[in-house]
Amino acid sequence: MPRATIPRARLAKALGRDLPDAELRDLLWSTKAEFDGPEGGSLVLEATADRLDLLTESGLALALAPKVGGAHGLVPIRSAPWSGPAPQLLVDPSVAGVRPAIAGAIVAAPESRPLDAGLLDEAIRFQELLHATYGAQRKRASIGIYPTDRFQFPVRYTTRPVDDVRFVPLDGTVEVGGRAFLAAHPLAARYGSLGVAGERMLVLLDRDDQILSVPPILNSRGAGEARPGDRSLLLESTGATVARVREMIGLLSLVFVANGWSVAPVETVGGPADREGGAVVATRRLELPLATLDALAGRTFTTPEAEHLLAQSRLGAHPIPGGFTVEVPPWRPDLLTAVDLAEDVVLARGLRAEDGVVPPSPTRGRRRTESVFRREVADLLLGLGYAELYTPVLVGAEVDALLAPSGAIRVANPVSDLYSHVRNRLLPSLLTSLAHNVRHAYPQRMYEVGPVIVADPGSETGGRTLVRAGILLAGERFGFADGAALLDYLTGAMGAVGVREPLEIPGTIRGRAARLRLAGESIGEVGELHPSVLTELRVPVPAVWAELDLSALWPLVRRAEAA
Amino acid sequence: MPPDPDEPDEAVPATELSLGGPERAVLGALRSAGPLPVEEEALPTRTDLSIEAVRGALQRLRSKGLANVEEEHREVLTLTPRGVRAQAIGLPERRMLQILGGHTAPMGPTDLEAAGLPAEERSAAIGILRRRGFLADGIPFRLRDGHPDVALPFPEETALRSIHDDQVAPDDSAVKDLRRRGLVEVGHLTTKRWTPSDEGRAAVLLDDSKLLGTLSTVSLRDGSWKGQEFRPYDVRAAVPYVTGARPHRYAAWLREFEEILLGLGFEQGEGPLLETEFWDCDVLFMPQHHPARSIHDVFGVVGVEGKLPPAALLERVAAVHEGRALPGEAAPITPGWKAPYDPEVARHLVLRSQTTSVSARYLANHPTPPFRMFCLDRNFRVESVDATHHIDFTQCEGILGGEGTNLRDLVGIFRALADAIGIRDLRIRPSYFPFTEPSVEGYVKHPRLGWIEVFPGGMFRPEVLRPLGIDVPVAAWGIGVMRLAMVSLGVSDIRELFEDDLERLTGGPR
Repeated sequence: MPRATIPRARLAKALGRDLPDAELRDLLWSTKAEFDGPEGGSLVLEATADRLDLLTESGLALALAPKVGGAHGLVPIRSAPWSGPAPQLLVDPSVAGVRPAIAGAIVAAPESRPLDAGLLDEAIRFQELLHATYGAQRKRASIGIYPTDRFQFPVRYTTRPVDDVRFVPLDGTVEVGGRAFLAAHPLAARYGSLGVAGERMLVLLDRDDQILSVPPILNSRGAGEARPGDRSLLLESTGATVARVREMIGLLSLVFVANGWSVAPVETVGGPADREGGAVVATRRLELPLATLDALAGRTFTTPEAEHLLAQSRLGAHPIPGGFTVEVPPWRPDLLTAVDLAEDVVLARGLRAEDGVVPPSPTRGRRRTESVFRREVADLLLGLGYAELYTPVLVGAEVDALLAPSGAIRVANPVSDLYSHVRNRLLPSLLTSLAHNVRHAYPQRMYEVGPVIVADPGSETGGRTLVRAGILLAGERFGFADGAALLDYLTGAMGAVGVREPLEIPGTIRGRAARLRLAGESIGEVGELHPSVLTELRVPVPAVWAELDLSALWPLVRRAEAA
Repeated sequence: MPPDPDEPDEAVPATELSLGGPERAVLGALRSAGPLPVEEEALPTRTDLSIEAVRGALQRLRSKGLANVEEEHREVLTLTPRGVRAQAIGLPERRMLQILGGHTAPMGPTDLEAAGLPAEERSAAIGILRRRGFLADGIPFRLRDGHPDVALPFPEETALRSIHDDQVAPDDSAVKDLRRRGLVEVGHLTTKRWTPSDEGRAAVLLDDSKLLGTLSTVSLRDGSWKGQEFRPYDVRAAVPYVTGARPHRYAAWLREFEEILLGLGFEQGEGPLLETEFWDCDVLFMPQHHPARSIHDVFGVVGVEGKLPPAALLERVAAVHEGRALPGEAAPITPGWKAPYDPEVARHLVLRSQTTSVSARYLANHPTPPFRMFCLDRNFRVESVDATHHIDFTQCEGILGGEGTNLRDLVGIFRALADAIGIRDLRIRPSYFPFTEPSVEGYVKHPRLGWIEVFPGGMFRPEVLRPLGIDVPVAAWGIGVMRLAMVSLGVSDIRELFEDDLERLTGGPR
């Protein structure tokens, strides 16, 4: 889950009192946030991915206030007066192939309370969290904050030749050229590719060609540096889609609107969001039929009760016949349809285990017949004194190499060499367990009935998941015949008789391995393990392996039974 | 360790002994050996017996009071894979110090990440450096004025190096810290050293060649046993213990859990482990850009390709993702994810990350309610393997659907499952899954771990059901049964569920 550390004092200030750890933990139990614990003067929080707003002190205070007797209902979004040139973002067609979407809004401080260090810190923390999560590491969207008194509208979103760009990066003091910046700055190393196309890079310029930022990498030091004392800020977001950049601004607007700041629209001219600027930071309306709410929750809500619970969720509830029109603030992009609103109501009421009712069953429980068949094979092996194993499906590169060419599908992004291949036989798992047990007495008998994945280009999923019974017998005097006898015994017990034919199987002794066929199908394999494999695994005794493909055998057995 | 299936030996006066072959050889070796005690592992070469035969003989000699043993138990510290990595590239706190030391400007979290300190390592590094006075308060991060000397090694670094070099780690608290962080683990070694007892030294070994030992088929057939004296056995002596096959504890637990679901009227389902992203995520209304679908969370595979589902189903799923009306309908049922749907992503292959894909396939193939299906099977997620995480994890997926199915039914199923495995304490809290709304999480109380989350679930969104042609509510869940198994089996390390030690799997009473 996304995580954040927020200053305790700011939450206390927003709520009007400090919450002891235990009370905070209790209150958050019924929300989508979780208190991990204190860290110095801060609180470490986690929240589900749909409620990033709860990872700011402002958003958390909004959610907790109704629970501690504070405010409830929708937070009003006040309009800010704006004088001067019309706030516009002019989109140049050259950005289309790089990062086409942009949107913006202006937030203005209350007369008596300009930007302070605490609010700026909160906004920057939230900005970084949004970059990492909602913005998909800035790939889908990034966001910038600019003081409106240090640049002039209209702002132009365009590209410039890399060598023509010169600016002082936000964290620097010296003017640098675009090429040097892209080559040397750590953020450029990470995000540069998102804002560069060939020899041109994205820039945000004001009326006087002053660089505000080089999206999505970094702001400039002058026009792109918000400071305590600022009274009006431009929030701007660039990205892949209009919807995402507008949602980014809506989310970030939370920390300002919740602190009494007002909002002025910024018009986008050109690009995919042409002239949509006015509605970026605004509420939107969704309908919640009471019938939907009742059906999902399994209980009946009265209109006043649902209205109260919507207000507890900080939503605007307007009763209409049969339900509500619900006003949703821009920092709640998670609310898509009526079912999302219903969830908010259900959570505001509280979830209780006691509310659960075991529904009567209209159906009879049924195990898959194939699963019963597998268990029968496993029981036979248990009866023969073989220990049951349960091992991971992913196996190590080392053991796969012993069986090369194994034909096993490789994992594209393995976490370690121990889990780098998808087993296509149970053999590598059995060998791994054999190696784990070299300190113990022999003979050793083990088996696993488990899944393997065999590559199959003709299948929808590129491979088939098969269930096999893999058997390994290790000890003095054991050899091919013991394994073959086991296969004969198992197939015989299932009413089938297979025919062995010679086969070379990597990891086994040539001439001492076979495939078992039945009705033209391959249903099993058996082989005496090669001494090079055994010595590599430090196994001091001979060993024989056998494997029965239960997925192949089952239809044949069933067909025979039906006949 | 099972001794050789040798015959037990006869009772004789204390100073006159008649011993079986292996015991005679081992006692002889102990008595003739030079320096005492003798390490158990040295005896096979001195007796020409296997280590198993030696161990069996030693146990019998000990039970007869003829040999004594001293055991030395040692803890051995070893580096975990993460420990090996930390030893190679430095502990996170050292790397953060180096990064900050190399930059004059303060650095934010993303700067640190860009410089090679990922988020999962950052929190620990920040906490440690703050506690030790290296870091100034606040974000972005910078070194505190007057911070301690960065050139001095941390105690954990010294300990890590010592363990890596097989030397004694000097700082116990540092070792504890490394263990807590999962960088070091402890193994146990036992060394056994044997000496003959006074009785064993003084005993006279009798010549018992005239007494009849093992009754053989030959003597039965030819009657040669007649008129012979049988060598008497010491019936009180230790005998070989029997080891037998047993069901694997975890596999058996899973089968028991299946019985609970069957008893509640659920039908068993199954699906492929190698899956297209269409079935693993798209059909579940998980946005194609969802972070949980990245290579940091889901395993991809190399060399094989998937295929798209039937065109009509693909179009319906694409419509809800893009916020378009379903074919034949006037209005969209959802604003969707407001991004173009990419069929290339849909056919990309992954190792199944959730058994919910089995539910989706089931609903697609069985569109007529009521639905009661479960699937208890494996899934795969990119994790660092430790006491609570594994790359190969089991989920118990289930769906319950029909007219009137609601959230209370879902919680009721959680209660029934918890009751069935003997857990009384259950709490429900909100959660989030892209495919359910409302989404909840059931927590149960573990005696040591406290409240742990085991029952995630919710009501399938219309965006999941409608493209599949389902018009009734469906509750769904994907229970983390490994955690439940840990609670139920009293296991505190998830890796124990993959136990493959044959002594433990086949050994004595549990």
